Amino acid sequence: MSEAILTTAGLGKRFGNRWAVKDLNLEVRAGDVFGFLGPNGAGKSTTIRIILTLLSPTSGSVKIFGKDVSGNRESVLSRVCGIVEKPDFYLYLSAYKNLELLGSLTRKVKRNEIFDALEIVGLKSRAFDKVKAFSHGMKQRLGIAQAILTKPELVILDEPTSGLDPQGMKEVRELVLALSREHGTTIFLSSHLLTEVEAVANRMAVLNHGELIAQGKVSELLNGDSAYYSIQASPQNEAVELLRKMPWVEIVSVANGIDVHIDSRRAAELNRLLVTNAIEVSSFAAKRTLEDYFLKITEGASEG
Amino acid sequence: MSLFAIEVQKTFRRWRTYIGFAAVAGAVILLEVIIKLNETRMAHSYAGNLNSDFLISGNVLNAWVISAFIMNSLYVHVPFLITLVAGDMVSSEATSGTIRFLLIRPPSRSKIIAAKFFVMLFYTAMLIVFLALLCVGLGLAFFGSGDLIRFQTGLPHIVILSEHIAASRTALAFLAAILSMSVVGSLAFLFSALVDNSIGPIIGSMAIVVIFFVIGNLPFDFLESLRPYLFTTYMNIWQLFLDDPINWQEVGKYALALLGYDVLFFGAAFFVFLRKDIKS
Repeated sequence: MSEAILTTAGLGKRFGNRWAVKDLNLEVRAGDVFGFLGPNGAGKSTTIRIILTLLSPTSGSVKIFGKDVSGNRESVLSRVCGIVEKPDFYLYLSAYKNLELLGSLTRKVKRNEIFDALEIVGLKSRAFDKVKAFSHGMKQRLGIAQAILTKPELVILDEPTSGLDPQGMKEVRELVLALSREHGTTIFLSSHLLTEVEAVANRMAVLNHGELIAQGKVSELLNGDSAYYSIQASPQNEAVELLRKMPWVEIVSVANGIDVHIDSRRAAELNRLLVTNAIEVSSFAAKRTLEDYFLKITEGASEG
Repeated sequence: MSLFAIEVQKTFRRWRTYIGFAAVAGAVILLEVIIKLNETRMAHSYAGNLNSDFLISGNVLNAWVISAFIMNSLYVHVPFLITLVAGDMVSSEATSGTIRFLLIRPPSRSKIIAAKFFVMLFYTAMLIVFLALLCVGLGLAFFGSGDLIRFQTGLPHIVILSEHIAASRTALAFLAAILSMSVVGSLAFLFSALVDNSIGPIIGSMAIVVIFFVIGNLPFDFLESLRPYLFTTYMNIWQLFLDDPINWQEVGKYALALLGYDVLFFGAAFFVFLRKDIKS
């Protein structure tokens, strides 16, 4: 098991009488792309702000690279880069100048390093344009250029694809993965977009109402006993009738296809049942996404 | 690149920073041109005020007199130009969201707030130096040199500073004006650290300056006990350098009071900034 890069122990933050984050114990390991998942208002941004020293915790502690952040701020943050919420730059300065000034807060940056970083994110041709002319997606890429420039070991991104169009989301996702693969950077990425975490993360934690619900490998957390499947069958009404007779099949919806919820070990049995009853099955696909998993456990938590 | 250099670049690359310089240039040029156009009448009027005690002759309206006159006219207005930048030093980072980038970098909050404060002082100094160069430069070009003749501060005595010491006294007066204006800057800086918008610190600090000036100048006995505690009481420190002889004891008292206010306002800003939760 690789070493823990970022850990929180009993971390909590209270605003007035409300706990935004409560007794949070996270562990991010070296090389992880760690998804920090939760709905809006779950406490993700608050957690990230505490980790990056923007907020002081009410309880608990944060360790990065084995050191307590509060007592080793300078040495720890020189190895970390973060974007909290949206990447806000000095709008009256060029992309180049922004990177030069912000990069200089961590270490001396060379001219060619700035251009290299801008090239990686596809903004080299806009180097001397003022950031006020940039779209949200371009600013997000500029934020990632900043991360590349300072060569951090840990990058913390708060909702990096928020507000982006599908193409922008794809680009940012690819840049995040490239940071991880090509530079060996550990990524801590928060999102309320479940597909995003599923697409990039190897480990994840799920937060709801400020409390940790689950933490572990994405693959393990997804390997539950039950799963959702989408079936394209013909004739559909006969298939639905047949499935309704099966007590172990829960029909979730019937529209252009049939969505069912079953024990995943009985998927083959269900397919066979349909075929042996003269129903033509053109598609039988697992819909077991992180979203389903998330809904299941958060609903479970709220019921509890 | 040092934090100070980074903050200097951020400040001096904004157009807002140059509003003060443009306003000072406009006001000084306008005043000097108006005085030049009415030179004879104004020279007679000025000499006439002084003639009750002495017979005045020579170049009465010269660069040093004009500089003192302009400083006297503008030292209530220049604070507003200082607050435009000082009131924006910290709050603009919160408004634009860049404070999040700034405070997650390795430099500590204490270093960041100190760098910003020193840049505010640097801007204040630059603005006053610019005012001085313009006043004296245009004054010499339009009116030439001469003795500096004026009333002693707070007294009906006439002071005559010979031409050769008038220049150094004017320079000292402008240096003292930097200290004087730094207190206004520090006050706006404190407000800037307290709130997340730029308008509040500018309006707040100007309101306090105006109220303090009014309290300091109202002729009521019951306000007398308040005056030693108003920083505006000491803001005319620059005038003491145009007296003869210079009352160094008074200068020391004024300078200590102004420095005390600088330390007090910066200390409060420092305390607030170090403990501030960044929620925006």
